[in-house]
Amino acid sequence: MVQIFAAQVFFICLRECLETSIIVSVLLSFLAQTLTSEADKPIYRKLVRQIWLGVILGVAICVVFGAAIIGTFYHLQSDIFSQYEYIWEGVFSLIASAIITIMGAALLRISKMRDKWRVKIAAALDANSAGESSPRGLRFLGEKYAMFLLPFVTVLREGLEGVLFIIGAGLGLPATAFPLAVACGLGVGALIGYLLYRGGNAGSLQLFLVASTCFLYLIAAGLLSKSVWFFENYAWNVAIGGDAAETGAGPGSYDIRQSVWHVNCCSPQLDGGGWWGVFNSIFGWQNSATYGSVISYNLYCIGVGAAFLAMYSREKKAAKTE
Amino acid sequence: MLHALWLLLAFLHGAACTKTTYLEFNVTWVNRNPDGLHERPVMGINGQWPIPALHVTKGERVVIAVSNHLGNETTSLHWHGLYMNGTSYMDGPPGIAQCEIPPGESFVYDFKIDQPGTYWFHSHTRGQYPDGLRAPLIVNDPENPSKEEVDGEIVLSFSDWYHDLMRPLLASFVSVTNPTGAEPVPKSALINDSQNVTVAIQPGKTYLIRMVNMAAFASMYVWFQGHSMRVVEVDGIYTEPTEASMLYLTAGQRYSVLITVDPSGGTNIPFVASMDEELFDDIPDDLNSNVTGWLVLDNAKELPTPSNVDTFEALDDMSLRPLDGSAALDKVDRTITLDMKMDNLGDGANYAFFNNNTYVEPTVPTLYTVMSSGQYSDNPIVYGSHTNSFVLHGNETVEIILNNNDDGKHPFHLHGHAFQVIARSEEDAGSYSEGNTLSTPAVPLKRDTVLVQPNGYAVLRFRSDNPGVWLFHCHLEWHVASGLIATFIEAPLELQKTATIPPDHYDLCARNKPPVPTLGNAAGNVDDLLDLNGEPAPPQPLPAGFTTKGIIALVISILNGLIMVGMIAWYGMLQSPATEPGAGDEDGGPEGENQPLLAGPGPGT
Repeated sequence: MVQIFAAQVFFICLRECLETSIIVSVLLSFLAQTLTSEADKPIYRKLVRQIWLGVILGVAICVVFGAAIIGTFYHLQSDIFSQYEYIWEGVFSLIASAIITIMGAALLRISKMRDKWRVKIAAALDANSAGESSPRGLRFLGEKYAMFLLPFVTVLREGLEGVLFIIGAGLGLPATAFPLAVACGLGVGALIGYLLYRGGNAGSLQLFLVASTCFLYLIAAGLLSKSVWFFENYAWNVAIGGDAAETGAGPGSYDIRQSVWHVNCCSPQLDGGGWWGVFNSIFGWQNSATYGSVISYNLYCIGVGAAFLAMYSREKKAAKTE
Repeated sequence: MLHALWLLLAFLHGAACTKTTYLEFNVTWVNRNPDGLHERPVMGINGQWPIPALHVTKGERVVIAVSNHLGNETTSLHWHGLYMNGTSYMDGPPGIAQCEIPPGESFVYDFKIDQPGTYWFHSHTRGQYPDGLRAPLIVNDPENPSKEEVDGEIVLSFSDWYHDLMRPLLASFVSVTNPTGAEPVPKSALINDSQNVTVAIQPGKTYLIRMVNMAAFASMYVWFQGHSMRVVEVDGIYTEPTEASMLYLTAGQRYSVLITVDPSGGTNIPFVASMDEELFDDIPDDLNSNVTGWLVLDNAKELPTPSNVDTFEALDDMSLRPLDGSAALDKVDRTITLDMKMDNLGDGANYAFFNNNTYVEPTVPTLYTVMSSGQYSDNPIVYGSHTNSFVLHGNETVEIILNNNDDGKHPFHLHGHAFQVIARSEEDAGSYSEGNTLSTPAVPLKRDTVLVQPNGYAVLRFRSDNPGVWLFHCHLEWHVASGLIATFIEAPLELQKTATIPPDHYDLCARNKPPVPTLGNAAGNVDDLLDLNGEPAPPQPLPAGFTTKGIIALVISILNGLIMVGMIAWYGMLQSPATEPGAGDEDGGPEGENQPLLAGPGPGT
C-alpha cells in the first residue's frame, strides 16, 4: 500500500495548528469583545490586521524554512547518509520525544496564560491609542505591535517545533505520505480553533487539550522506544554486515538475543506498514521488540506519569494553602 | 604400538598377494602463498604443499599411515569416489566410519582399489579440507579404452582459495550474525594449488587431461582456448567420447578429456578455470574469479592472455553415456525422498535440512552402532533422530528423489557408490512429481557427485550392493558444516557378519579427548537401543510468535501507557478553569465548565 497518510505527521500538524489557532481565536475574541464601539473600529481593524499579519508571516517563514530543512534532510539522507539512516532516525526520534515531553505540559496550561495575555493586550491597546507624544523605545514598540508579535512568535515557535517533530517522526516515510497528512492536520487544527472562536467554552476546550496532550505523550513514548529500537537495529545491521530489512520480517531481520517478541507479520517497516505503521506512529508498535525498546517505553510512561502526578499534588497542595 | 603391528601384518599379507603401496602421511602445518596475495598456514603432507597427486594402479592395495602432527586440530581422510567394497570402515568420515584422529595420534587406511579413473582424497573432518588437506588420486588403468590414442597424461586440479583459516570462517558462518547463511566468498582461484601454471606439451600429440575440482565451494567453468575436448571419463566412469568446448565442474567432480594438439604447433595454449560467481552472495570489487594456465609448445614464445568469453556454455553432463552401456535401473525397490531447505534455528544461525532435520553427529560413530546393535541394526531409530538415517536392504534398486527447495545450486555426493542420474530438472522446476518426469534416458549418466539446480530436483538410482555406512551430502563444505547430510546404512545385518573392524580403530576412539564410546545407539545407550535420550541435538527452533515473555511485556507496556495517559488527563482536568482555585472570581461570570475563555459578554457581540 502506497503510504499517502502519515498518522504521526497528521497529529503533529494538528497539535501545532491547534495551539496556534487557539491563541489566534482567543486574541480575536478578546478584541471583538473589547473594541465594540464605533470609535474603536479603526483600532480594532488595525489590531486585527496585526494579528493576521503575524500569523501569515510566521506561517510563511515556517513553510519556507521547514521545506528547506526537510528537503535537505531527505536529499542528504538518501545520498550520503543512507547507511546511517537508522542513526538519523534514532537521534531525531529522541529529540522529538524530548521536545514533546517538555512542551506538552504547556498546552494544558493555556487557560493560565490568559491572565498574562490580558495584561499584554491591555498594554497594546494603550500603546496604540496613545498619541505621537508618547515615549518611544523597544518596550513601547513591543506593546504597540503586541498583536503582531504574539501570534508571530507563537506561530514561529509552534511551526519550527512542528518541523523538528516531523523530521524526527517522519524521516522514514515516503514523500507521498506528507501532503495529505499535513493538509489534514492543519485543516483540522484550524477548524477546531474556528469552532472554539464561534462557540467554544472553557470546559470543552480543556477536554480537547487534554485528549490531544494524551495522544502526544503516547507518541512521545513511542518515539523514545523507536529511538532505542533504531540504535539497536543499527548495531544489528553492522553485525550482520548488511541491511536486515532486506530479509523481510522473518528470521535474520532481528537479533534473537535481544528479542522480547517477534512475529513474522505486522511489520511497520515493510510495504509502508499499513495499519501497523499507524500503530507504530502512535504507540511505537514493533513486530520485533527488543529489551531496549520495551524497557525504554515503560520507563518513559512511568516517568511521565510520575511527573504529572507530582505536578498535580504540588498544585493541589499549593491551592490548599491559598 | 598396535598400529605398528597392524602395519606389519598388512605388509606380510600384502607381500603375499596384490601389489601394495605403502605410504606415510605426516600431516603438518606449513606456510604457503599460492595466489601471491597472502601467505598463510596450510595443511601439508610430509612437509609438501601442494600435496602431490597420488598415483596408483587399478587392482592395487594401498596402505596409508596418517599421523596427525597438526597440534591443534583432529583430522581424517576420505577417498572421494572409491567404493570401499568390504572396507566401509576405511571410508574416512568421523562420526560415521571412524573417530577423529587426534593430534599426536595416527591411523592406518588399508584398502584395495578396483576401479580406474580420476579421484581425490581429502579430510572429512568438519570444515577442514579447504585449509589445504586435499589432493588428486589417480588410478591408472592398463586397460584404459583410450590408451591407444594417449601420448601423455596431465593432471589438473582446480580450487577456490581463502586467505583466512577455516576455523574462524566457520565460526562466523554458522552464527547468529549470519542469519541468511551467506557463505564466505573465496579470494582467488587456483590450478594445481598455484597460479600461472605451465605444462609442457608437443605438437601432434594427444593428451589425456584429468581434471579434479577440489574446491570448498566454487564450481569451475573450464576451457582450453581454441581447442575442443573429448570427454572420456566422468567421476571414474568411462563415457562414450563426447565433444565439449567448455566444462562445468562442481566441487568434488572430475572429468578426463582428450585434447589433440595441432601437428603444426603454433601459439601456446591458454586454459582458464573461472569460478561460478552465481554461487557467491556478493562479489567484491577486487575479486578475480579466473585463473589461467598454459599448455606450452614453445618456451620461447609468449604466453598469450586468454581472450574473453561472452557466455558460459558448458557441457550438460546429462548427455554423457557410460561406455559400458548400463541401462537405466527401472524396477525401483525403495524410494527415498529428500526435501532440502535452509532455515534458521533458535540460536539465530542458518542451518540446512533434509526433511526438516539438520544433521548432528551422533555420540557413537554410525558404523560402530551397526556393529554393536545386534538385531536392532536394521531399525533406523538406533542411528539417531538427527542423523537423517535410512536403512537400506542389500541388493535392491534404491531411488533418491532430491528436491532442492533452496534458490542455490548444490552438488550432492554419495559415498560408496556411483549413481545413475535418471533426471535432473531445470532451475525453478519445483519438486519432483510423477507427472513432470523428463523422459528417462535409456543409458543414463553415471557419476558420484551431481549438480541440482535451484528450486529444482534430481532423481538418482543405484544398486545397494555394497554393505556399509555411506554418507549422502552436499559437497559445499559450508553446507556440510550446517548439516546438509544424510546417512545410508546399507545391509547392516550383512555388514555385521562380514566387516572386520581393526581393533586400533576402536582404540583411536578411546584416545580421543574426551573418549568416544564405540558401543550402543546414537545416544551411546547400550542397554535400551531404542532409547535416544541424551543424543546430540541441534538448537531448538525459533519461537513461532509471542512467547510468554512477549505477552507479559506487551501487557505491561499497555498498562503503563494507560496509566500515563490517566495521569495526564487527571492533571489536565485540574488545569480546567472550573477547578482552578480562585479563577472565576475576578470576573464574576458563570462558574464551572461554561465559563468562557475570556472575560466579557461572549464572542461576537
